[in-house]
Amino acid sequence: MEWNRSRSILLSLCAVVLFAVVLLVTDALAVPLCMQACQVFLSLEGEELPLTLTVYIASVPGWICLYSLFRLLLNLRRGAVFTAVNGRYMRRTSWCCILAGVLFLAAAWFWLPFVFAGIAAGFMGLIVRIVKNIFEQAIAMKDELDYTI
Amino acid sequence: MKAVGAMIVVNLDVMMARRKISAGELAERVGITPANLSVLKNNKARAVRFSTLEALCRVLDCQPGDLLEYVPDGKE
Repeated sequence: MEWNRSRSILLSLCAVVLFAVVLLVTDALAVPLCMQACQVFLSLEGEELPLTLTVYIASVPGWICLYSLFRLLLNLRRGAVFTAVNGRYMRRTSWCCILAGVLFLAAAWFWLPFVFAGIAAGFMGLIVRIVKNIFEQAIAMKDELDYTI
Repeated sequence: MKAVGAMIVVNLDVMMARRKISAGELAERVGITPANLSVLKNNKARAVRFSTLEALCRVLDCQPGDLLEYVPDGKE
């Protein structure tokens, strides 16, 4: 099978859908999983509620992030690449990653390993933000070119 | 008068009226789309290629100075 841009975008779309399914399952099973994890694996009594809340609250930016990435990929598929709308989707994605990072860092108060999730999410947000900056420069350059007769 | 920044104004309408040529015909003979010609006429263009300017001068039988006018800062 010959690989091309269209298939690459399709693969990315499938990955986004897969992550959405994972997040949906996580949200659906958050309560029993956190209860079991606290009691059996972590020996944390009384910390079920904060851990569960962390999962649910952090999933909100996760859903927004996945939706933005999905819409961005659909636009790429249509051929609309360097547009202001796509720039907004990237900005939204970066802020969602940073917000999730902050939430996990705050939740590290209850369970220290959340620090790693917080740092990873924050770093991802930083990478997306820098790519967004590059994207905005490309949009400005394209705009200049479009209005060169 | 509305205060605006300094700008280059494209006076295509004047030359088109003198040569009695329509926008559609001019666009076709110059080799640009009617949409791009409209962008040029309405002073929305950011830049003009020399090849486009040469084609406009050839079709309208004029000089670049007949088409382009510098308007200093503060005047419209």
